[in-house]
Order: sequence, then C-alpha cells, then structure tokens
Amino acid sequence: MRFLVQPAPESLERARPPVRVFLAFSVLLILAAVASRAAHGALTPAGLEQILEAVPGERLGPVALWEEVHQGAFLYGFLLLALGSLLAVCPVSRVVRGGLLWLATAAAFLDLGAPFLPVAFPGFPGWAALRIGAFLVATCALLAMAGLAFATFGREGRPSDG
Amino acid sequence: MVDPRIGRFAGPVAAFAGMVAVIMGTAAVLFARKIGFDTGHIQAFYLGAEATFAPPRSLAGLLEVAVPHLLAIPMLLFVTLHLVAFVGGVRRRPFAIAAGITFACAAVVIAAGFVIRFAWPGLAPIKIAAFLGLEGTMLVWLGLLVAAITGSEAAPPRAAR
Repeated sequence: MRFLVQPAPESLERARPPVRVFLAFSVLLILAAVASRAAHGALTPAGLEQILEAVPGERLGPVALWEEVHQGAFLYGFLLLALGSLLAVCPVSRVVRGGLLWLATAAAFLDLGAPFLPVAFPGFPGWAALRIGAFLVATCALLAMAGLAFATFGREGRPSDG
Repeated sequence: MVDPRIGRFAGPVAAFAGMVAVIMGTAAVLFARKIGFDTGHIQAFYLGAEATFAPPRSLAGLLEVAVPHLLAIPMLLFVTLHLVAFVGGVRRRPFAIAAGITFACAAVVIAAGFVIRFAWPGLAPIKIAAFLGLEGTMLVWLGLLVAAITGSEAAPPRAAR
C-alpha cells in the first residue's frame, strides 16, 4: 500500500507490470471460483441446499459450511483489500469507487452469511437463491474493480490521483 | 483525525478487517467443533479414540491441514500487521513484541498437532493456549486497525510523522 500512498513516478512505473499480472491472476481466481461452484452444483438452489443445508439436530449448521465460509472470507478479504486499494488510485469518481467496493463487500458478506439463515431460522425460504445472487453480484463487482484497475495500470504513464 | 493519504484506503482496509474477523470467528467455531477446547478431546482427535472408533491422524492428514495454513496464517498476519504498522500510531517496541507473540502463537498452533500425535500428547493444553493467544492478539490488531481507519486512534498515523 505504501507505493500507492506515497507514489513516486519511477516506483509506480516499476510496479506497473507486476500489478498487471496480479490483476490477471485475480480475474483468473474469480472465474475459477465461479467454475468451482458450478462444478460442485452450488450455482443452483437445489444443488446448494443439498451441500450446505443443515440437517435436523445440527444446531450450528454443517461443519462443511463453516469451512467454506472460513476459506471464502480469506479469498474475499485479500481480493477486496488488493483490488480496493488499486481502485483507490484509479481516475474514477468517488461514487463509482465507493459504490463498487461497497457492493462487492456487502454481496460478499451476504454470500458468506446466507447459508446461516436456515440455521438461525429453520425453513427460511430462498436462502440458496439469495446466496447465488449475492455471489454473482460480488463476482461482477470484483471483476469490474479489476477491470478499472487494469484500465489504469495496464497503460503506460502515471495514474492520476482520481 | 485520519491521515488524508490513508483516508481513501479506509474502505478496502475496513472490508479486509471485516473478513479477517469472519476468518477468526469461523476458526474458533471449527476448532470447537472439530477438535474441542479441552485436553481430552484434543488428544482423542490426534491420537484416535476407541470409544468413537476414531482412527489416529495420519501424517498425510496432518500435512493436508498444515500446509495451506502455513501459507494462509503468516500471510494474513503479515498483511494485518503491515496495515496496523502503516496506519496506526503503535510504538515500535511494543509492536514488535506483540507481533512476535502473535506469530509465535500461530507457529505453535500449527506445529502442536504434529507434536501431540507423534511425540508428546501432553502438549494439548499448550495448543489451546496458543490458539486463544492467536485469536486474542488478532482481536487486538483488528481493534487497532479499525480505530486507526475510523480516526479514533489518539496517536498520529505513522505515515504522517
């Protein structure tokens, strides 16, 4: 973050190629996460309910749910920090910058939290669709953040302070 | 007062802090549900238990859990501490000591499973203490991080000095 906060033209130029590659890997990671969920059947409400819905007597929900949230929060945390920090120095309006970050963060928390709804409120309807929707919104917002960052760091020259 | 140079990063840092809180919370639940917070359960988890037909943990099984955590935990601590050092007004020596304690707790948590399984089952209480130490110190780091980005930190940010 220091090179973003205290930008020197020379250091920013040096940082540009690895940032571009990092952004490419971030996009790959996001797309791979979508593919992984699709492959596990977690992009349909029925498939998701089969994987994560608590069985009667599981007061805290299945362990698999907690493990998935544990890993998901790690990925979301680093993506939001890295892409959000890069977006902070992109020449886009505060509304777009803040809106995208807020949307991605809120959708990410909803994605992680939605499977706990039927645990807290047994029989809660539509939690699976809610989770899938939140995941897709978070994915699109993160991809948009990566795209905007790439538009800034992908070209030569110093990005403006926006 | 938040340093204006840091202000624009408050959003991403807050999102990161929120996700770290989720990670620490789920880690506590997983520890409680899979291993347990008492010596007997920890020894049964690693050494197996006839009563529940649980087999002892294999080396491959322990490594399957340890290897991703050897990347994830130090990376998480590194980034969190880096952010605290950068945006917070923590003095150098207390920061170094507290950071050392956090990293030491993380190392013990990861290594203790191997020691309990293959060398010394009596280490189980140390694993519990290390896990609680890791969770507790991480809570402090997150508190400092949130205080710094919300401007409630009394000392000036490090970058402003």
